[in-house]
Amino acid sequence: MRLDDIKESSLMAIDTLRANKLRSSLTILGVSVGVITIIFMVSIIQGLNKAFADQVESLGSNTIFVSKFDPGFGRPPGPSEIHRKDLTMDDAEALRREAPSIAGVSPIHRLIAVTTRYQNKQTDTPILLGVTPYYEFVHSQYVARGRFIKDLDMDNRENVCIVGVDVVRALFPYEDPLGKEVRIDGSPYFVIGVMEPLGNFFGQSRDNSIFVPITTFDKYYADRPFPGVVFFIIVRPQTRAYVKSAVDEITDILRRRRRVPINEKNNFGISSQDSLLDIYNQLTGATALVLTAISFVALMIGGIGVMNIMLVSVTERTKEIGVRKAVGATRFNILSQFLIEAVVLTAIGGLTGLVVGEILAFLINRYSPLPAYVPLWAIGVGIGVSAAVGIVFGLWPAWKAARLDPIEALRWE
Amino acid sequence: MSDATLTSPAVEPVVQPEPPRPHDAGSLISMRNIWKTYEMGSEKVHALHGVSFDIPKGEYIAIIGPSGSGKSTLMNLIGCLDTPSQGEYWLNAKNVSEMDDDELARIRNQEVGFVFQTFNLLARATALHNVELPLIYGGVSSAQRHEMAKKALAAVDLTDRMMHRPNELSGGQRQRVAIARALVNHPSILLADEPTGALDSRTSMEIMDLFERLHSEGNTIIVVTHEPDVAARAHRVVSIRDGLIEKDEKSR
Repeated sequence: MRLDDIKESSLMAIDTLRANKLRSSLTILGVSVGVITIIFMVSIIQGLNKAFADQVESLGSNTIFVSKFDPGFGRPPGPSEIHRKDLTMDDAEALRREAPSIAGVSPIHRLIAVTTRYQNKQTDTPILLGVTPYYEFVHSQYVARGRFIKDLDMDNRENVCIVGVDVVRALFPYEDPLGKEVRIDGSPYFVIGVMEPLGNFFGQSRDNSIFVPITTFDKYYADRPFPGVVFFIIVRPQTRAYVKSAVDEITDILRRRRRVPINEKNNFGISSQDSLLDIYNQLTGATALVLTAISFVALMIGGIGVMNIMLVSVTERTKEIGVRKAVGATRFNILSQFLIEAVVLTAIGGLTGLVVGEILAFLINRYSPLPAYVPLWAIGVGIGVSAAVGIVFGLWPAWKAARLDPIEALRWE
Repeated sequence: MSDATLTSPAVEPVVQPEPPRPHDAGSLISMRNIWKTYEMGSEKVHALHGVSFDIPKGEYIAIIGPSGSGKSTLMNLIGCLDTPSQGEYWLNAKNVSEMDDDELARIRNQEVGFVFQTFNLLARATALHNVELPLIYGGVSSAQRHEMAKKALAAVDLTDRMMHRPNELSGGQRQRVAIARALVNHPSILLADEPTGALDSRTSMEIMDLFERLHSEGNTIIVVTHEPDVAARAHRVVSIRDGLIEKDEKSR
């Protein structure tokens, strides 16, 4: 087929579409909906993936998360996990001493939603974290003003705290928080530092935290069971290259310390960023599969619309086909004419779908907490898939047209 | 008794039966013992019973006959829209009877110019584009196509109507566009099927005058018609009846 033929067929196709505006637009709409579905789904999944990867990266480079629960997302730990022996400060200490691949260990006690007051102001949302002086280094999160927890604070179980910027905003809108006394769950603490801002993780602020020495935390909350208080250990390997060996060493040390028999599974959970991403990708992978299926069905419906309209078009234009054949059109000429017409229909639908999908993605990004991101390949896929729909669903009507007997076709009224 | 009388006992053929002889290499069209058989269910219907004739280049011939005579079947065969069930058809020294669909399309494109009763123009295309249509399928470049189509429209005095669509043209003008389309590729034959059937008598005269002029310019013209007036303008009249040639007369 020559370029000239394609041009001729495309012009004819557009002309035909113009002649049947309503019919054509409905068909195009069908295809658009399919492509919009694809673009929309891809943009959401890709947006989530990208945001997740970015955020996980921003949580601190290459840290390893150790807790008595198996890693998972939004999944509450099962009863057998809850009844496991707690990890302890001694475990953390053992990791620091014994694992050569590890650069730092930060055991953390966490209590969600503590009521904090300063004079007549109050906030109920901050997260209380009992931490050690290693926290700053292990998490690469540093104090912006004032100072962080020191060994002396730990030894003396001092009532001192470092606050995140959200807490500052809530309690000290017009004052310098340093040196002020706040009441956390009714107990008095001196503010000795303010953390540098961290921004959001999935729309949730990471700056709404209060840090106290882990020993001081124990003083007040030693008897609080799960899920009130959670204990976990964050480990920072020497470099990214040591993540794997660090995980192995931690596993060895903890299995030994917790006396896990050789043929039994770990009774604790270790997750590195990579494994977090793996789990996440598994989750979204399954979602993506479902969404792909949905998109496919949407496109099928669009395609059936195209086939239907093309069959009508072929019947309506039987006489025209006869004339074309009489003046020398081969079967291939007719076939390609109708195929191109179908592809033009679906391509217009595809482009419309792309534009609308992009606009939707933009709006979602703008006005909802969901991140949306349309990768370049999705645009290619959108166009390619819609053209393919045109070819697949246009083939049968086009073949029907091409096979028409010229005599019968000319006689058709 | 001959074969022909066996299959068609009602009519005593005047010219038939003609002994099949090798095709005449000098003729533009040479048909030898052409049969066309259709199967209607289990029954076989013979539309043509061994027709043979020759048309030399430059002839102006009318094919006449009542409906059901096999006239349309013969026209479809001459126009290469169909192939005979039996027999040989040579068009411009090519054996058309053995060709497949795509080869027939090529022959129609290069050798045959059709003129239909109902014009059969593309409704949404301009006169110029309609005339270009055979050239498109002939693979002529777009610049050359324009040139040739304009020339063909000029030949039928429609230069000032080139950009009009069929619904903006009168019946006679439409038929002239169709004739321009038929001639644009310089085919061996101009094959007209009831070319005046949809026109009033004055316009019919115009079209027949045009045919005469085209004939005088050297075109081979075959008109299929049941109108005696139209047939009378031709220089040779072939009458078909019951699938056989009943008469073959040179009128001038």
